[in-house]
Amino acid sequence: MIVVSEMLPVIMAFVAALISIVATWLAVQERDMLIATLFSALQSTCYALIYYLLMAPDIVLVYLPVSVGILPLITIILIKKTERYEE
Amino acid sequence: MSSATTFLLTTIMISFIINIAISLYGVFAKPSLVKKFIALTIFSDSVNSFAILIGFRRTPLGYPSIAVMPSPPQSVEDLKRFVSEAVDPVPQALVLTAVVIGLAVNMFLVGLIMLYYKYYGSTSTRRVKI
Amino acid sequence: MRLSDIAIGVSMAMLALLLSYLIVYGGLGPIATLNLRPLAVSFLNYTYNPWKIVYSAMSPEAVTAIVWDFRGLDTYFETSVLFIAIVGLIALFRGANVVQGVSSKGLSIIVKTSTKLVAPLILVAGASLAFHGHLSPGGGFQGGSFMTVAMTLLAIAFSIEFFQQKKLTLNRLLAIRCIGLLAIVVVSVYLLVKAVLLGGYAYIFQNMPRINSQYSMPSWFLDRPLAGILFFFNLSESIAVIGGLTLGVVLLLLREEELKAIIGGGEHE
Repeated sequence: MIVVSEMLPVIMAFVAALISIVATWLAVQERDMLIATLFSALQSTCYALIYYLLMAPDIVLVYLPVSVGILPLITIILIKKTERYEE
Repeated sequence: MSSATTFLLTTIMISFIINIAISLYGVFAKPSLVKKFIALTIFSDSVNSFAILIGFRRTPLGYPSIAVMPSPPQSVEDLKRFVSEAVDPVPQALVLTAVVIGLAVNMFLVGLIMLYYKYYGSTSTRRVKI
Repeated sequence: MRLSDIAIGVSMAMLALLLSYLIVYGGLGPIATLNLRPLAVSFLNYTYNPWKIVYSAMSPEAVTAIVWDFRGLDTYFETSVLFIAIVGLIALFRGANVVQGVSSKGLSIIVKTSTKLVAPLILVAGASLAFHGHLSPGGGFQGGSFMTVAMTLLAIAFSIEFFQQKKLTLNRLLAIRCIGLLAIVVVSVYLLVKAVLLGGYAYIFQNMPRINSQYSMPSWFLDRPLAGILFFFNLSESIAVIGGLTLGVVLLLLREEELKAIIGGGEHE
């Protein structure tokens, strides 16, 4: 039988994985690069939640400053110095 | 209950595969260099997630625990209990190395794209004939 | 939409179907089994084992012991790959220096005051993560990345000329990185030098006494475990990471006037 309180971590990881698929598709087909960077940061946050629920706290502590902090920062610096709209 | 957990974990693994397919499409088909760079970072994150998912385990009493001892063990039974309910620590060490190397290569790529724009005047691979 | 886009989309969908087919028949290994692999059982057994100290690393944290003791050479070469990437960035932007008096000295005063309150807290949290990396989840890379985020906040809110005025030039950031790498090298050959001078055998990256060598780093500190070589590696790695990544971000933040000397402005094909 299914006891919801014991399976709550796995159900949360399932919902976060579905949100990450939507965020990836929106990031790839967007023409404004700044909003594409925002969607990529949203996908990284969902992945950090999945890593925590899969019992890997060392990975979360490396992944959060690298993928939600430094990589969107250097991407926005790159957009400022080159073009903002695609084609 | 164990079949429901297997179903949810298999769905999470299939979502990683769908992310790999979408980001690879973004790397090949979109003409802008910045878009290719963003899709490349999503691709490397999804491939690292495979390894962490393989390290997960199932215990007879419920959810497993992290690979850290809460206190130094006093007897051999403490050690056996820790081994029987901790997650696999080897994939986490490999993914740590992969994330740091990915960050180094991505920083170098951003510097290259900046100089490419200053030399050729555009970041679109369809307008520049090398 | 072009024909090549449709062809690429169809081939990516077939790749996804092929990978799912492989997983159904166990190609990537079974998901979430009841027994661990024998290598993981062996590492978990020997990460803190005071009854068999010849095989053990004496640290309650399994992932840090694997990264710095059981597989220490992998981490050493990964640190050198990060160093090579930073050297490549410096070679791309060679000859550039920070010029004073170009911009309007950073963002507004509200941003500056709130950054002055928040940045020291982030620095202290990062240092705490680097110090207790052998007792709970943390370590060298984690602490160094946190501190790099605080330094980039300062670089953006106060403008990179502020770093130049406080004598934190590009050469000095590179020197901080090299000091961290030198500390790693010294700690890793310390027991080897001690064995050569006093007689006996030792290995590089050696932490606890092994079968035919009786030298070891200290494994207790007053009343809590200090896992020997892991503590010193975490400290040096956090210093090396904060120097290298801050240098990379400051190089990418250089402005047009400083870059004109490198490119020579506006050469199109």
